[in-house]
Amino acid sequence: MREDAFFPLPQGERVTEPAANIVNMLYDTLIAPFADFEFMRRALVGSFALALGAAPIGVFLMLRRMSLIGDAMAHAILPGAAIGFMIAGLSLFAMAGGGLIAGFVIAVGAGLIARSTELKEDASLAAFFLISLALGVTIVSVKGTNVDLLHFLFGSVLAVDDPTLLLIVGITSVSLVVLALIWRPLVLECVDPGFLRSVSRAGGMAHIAFLALVVMNLVGGFQALGTLLAVGIMMLPAVISRFWARDITGMIGVAVGCAAFSGYVGLLVSYHANLPSGPAIILVAGAIYAVSVVFGPVGGLIWHLLPQRHLEA
Amino acid sequence: MHTRRTVLMLAGVVAMLAGSPALAQDRIKVVATFSVLGDLVKNVGGDRIEVSTLVAPNSDAHVFSPTPGDAKTLATAKAVFVNGLGFEGWMARLVKASGTKAPTFVASAGIKTRTMEDDHQHGRRVTDPHAWQSIANAKVYVANIRDGLVKADPAGQSAYEANATAYLQKLDALEREVKDAIARIPADRRKIITTHDAFGYFGAAYGMEFIAPEGISTDSEPSAKDLAKIITQVRKQKIPAVFMENITDPRLMQQIAKETGAKVGGTLHSDALSEPGGPAGSYIDMMRNNIREFSKALTS
Amino acid sequence: MTAQLQFRNLTLGYDRHPAVHHLDGAVQVGSLTAVVGPNGAGKSTLFKGVVGVLKPLAGRIERNGVDPQDIAYLPQIAEIDRTFPISVYDMVAMGLWRSKGLFGGIGAKDRDTVEAAIEAVGLTGFEQRPIGTLSGGQMQRMLFARLLLQDARVIVLDEPFNAIDAKTSADLLALVRRWHAEQRTVLAALHDLDVVKANFPEALLLAREPVAWGKTADVLTNDNWVKARRMCEAFDEHAQACVAAA
Repeated sequence: MREDAFFPLPQGERVTEPAANIVNMLYDTLIAPFADFEFMRRALVGSFALALGAAPIGVFLMLRRMSLIGDAMAHAILPGAAIGFMIAGLSLFAMAGGGLIAGFVIAVGAGLIARSTELKEDASLAAFFLISLALGVTIVSVKGTNVDLLHFLFGSVLAVDDPTLLLIVGITSVSLVVLALIWRPLVLECVDPGFLRSVSRAGGMAHIAFLALVVMNLVGGFQALGTLLAVGIMMLPAVISRFWARDITGMIGVAVGCAAFSGYVGLLVSYHANLPSGPAIILVAGAIYAVSVVFGPVGGLIWHLLPQRHLEA
Repeated sequence: MHTRRTVLMLAGVVAMLAGSPALAQDRIKVVATFSVLGDLVKNVGGDRIEVSTLVAPNSDAHVFSPTPGDAKTLATAKAVFVNGLGFEGWMARLVKASGTKAPTFVASAGIKTRTMEDDHQHGRRVTDPHAWQSIANAKVYVANIRDGLVKADPAGQSAYEANATAYLQKLDALEREVKDAIARIPADRRKIITTHDAFGYFGAAYGMEFIAPEGISTDSEPSAKDLAKIITQVRKQKIPAVFMENITDPRLMQQIAKETGAKVGGTLHSDALSEPGGPAGSYIDMMRNNIREFSKALTS
Repeated sequence: MTAQLQFRNLTLGYDRHPAVHHLDGAVQVGSLTAVVGPNGAGKSTLFKGVVGVLKPLAGRIERNGVDPQDIAYLPQIAEIDRTFPISVYDMVAMGLWRSKGLFGGIGAKDRDTVEAAIEAVGLTGFEQRPIGTLSGGQMQRMLFARLLLQDARVIVLDEPFNAIDAKTSADLLALVRRWHAEQRTVLAALHDLDVVKANFPEALLLAREPVAWGKTADVLTNDNWVKARRMCEAFDEHAQACVAAA
């Protein structure tokens, strides 16, 4: 009997029936899907890796008012993928590599222009990504292919094979290391760039390194898990963390936790309720967001609505 | 002087007349809706006809959208061949729009039809139009095509009948090939999973089981449950091979194969031929290609 | 007396229009100098040149071996993102950048230094507050605490007491006097002439071109002010190339 398999009991004692049933139910609901199916385990590991690498970057993106860069990037890498396709056909490696290069050029180019001219980040990025997208569409039309290149390039959380897993884990590791390296100048660059300029020349480099991380996580995320998941896991947990923490380290902690939790619960929802997996994960994060907006300790709406006695001092 | 010029002119005209075979023998313009049909028509019609195919090789007849050029092609045709059975939903309107005087011949006339699950409305059953997947049916097609051509071009009757007879013999040989190949596959391994519901007639005719995966619809993202169901199904029914042509992410297919131990099958052709030099450039090549892929996946 | 900052025929400006025009002179080591002048006189521009943010259009600045990045600078309008989730403590601690660099850890001794600086500006108890909750005066105090930590030999303050309450100004002025006592070189742009007369032994009256430079009492005369106000504020779009800029 199942209960005995999990709870080898000393002679003469038996776990009560209702308790055993609850444990079984919990196991079936929360653990079994992952125990029984390899694709579920891989999806979970992939989601967790993405959560660890992308969520902290999302926090910084949000603070620098670059929250929409994810969507821009999803379209802007088209010319890179198109050129990769022209060179090597439907090779995932060539197209992802091309996409990565295109992403770097756009992000770094936009960043440099924003630093050295009057243009702000969002305007600079908008210009680059629109030009890039138009270029991509032109290349694809001239080459005359029927295949939806980007659709081919974007992966799915349910189809994480070994190379994909390695890619995601590798990207996460590099991200964490680089983030630790550029932490101070990055924070200063966000909060008081003038001061940073006056005491150091590290600002520019930190900025570029950060953009490189953004591109790497986005393009890698697209290729491994698809655009919705990559951008969603990067940005939604960051936005959620605003309502739960007052300092940046706390925010990053909340963001990573939320992202991982959403991945786990989302996969379970996709499994039990028969919903597509990527959207399920993002919807779970969305639900957390809704709760946070209302009940979050930092600036949640409910605190404005409920009358509270003010403090003595 | 005048005489020499006149002689030269006359010589030129005669040379032109002699050198243009088109004048000596006009090819009958004929239209077939899609590549499989077009190949059959070409084999029956031979040199007497010029076949235009509306849906090109490697293209999907289900989502074909006709162009004005197609209407023009129809207008100048002497005969039009369609598959029927609901395969070309767009054809009736196109024929009317083109104003063609050509008669339409339904290649599948007289065939015993099967039903299949509707692509867009799960649970509804509709007539399965992929009748040509059974070679016996293809022979009926050939007969219908021959009769149609004779009606449109009575002068060529003897040629059409001869071509048809020769081609029918080829089809007989092909059928023996297919049956032999199936016989070599162990009986308990004659089942595959494929998303595209195109092989109903093939399965019925030659004793292979084509199982549709429960749940995966090709135009939307699968849920974890769908994937789990397929894996369970493959494991439980011990299905040896998985052919999923339409899923855009090949990694999904590989994941299923890895978790179930099933083989991932090669490319099948069902609704369209490949380009002329390719692995399925003609009807006979297409059937050979498919049975070869089946054998490869199921006999190792 | 050695010169900490030597200006040689210095012209600074934007788009080729001079905002500081042919400035010659020296700021002595350990001096406490107020830079005064009408609006648009070029005070902020001069400071940007001193800290190396702006490159001269002509002439040069000699800094007696001090790296511009070692000069503590308080700009007039700080581009600080008040919505960023950082505490007063962490913000102030950034003042240790020059000594800590990218990775240097903040040890116990450093923690004491940071807290001492926060105490010196009267912000004890505010350490964990997010900077977005500070008032104008409190923000300025915080920035002064950061300046304290920078421990720089040269300090440049651009209108540090604008829109600040009297108590805060007084407290921060005390810090300025302390720096002077520590023989640091301090340059400050100010509008409040009473403060200048009471606290700053030297003054530079700037109206794009230097009007007067020396002891405060000698500089802040009526004649000098009349002369200064006569100098035009706006850039002349039709100006010719400067003949003296050869």
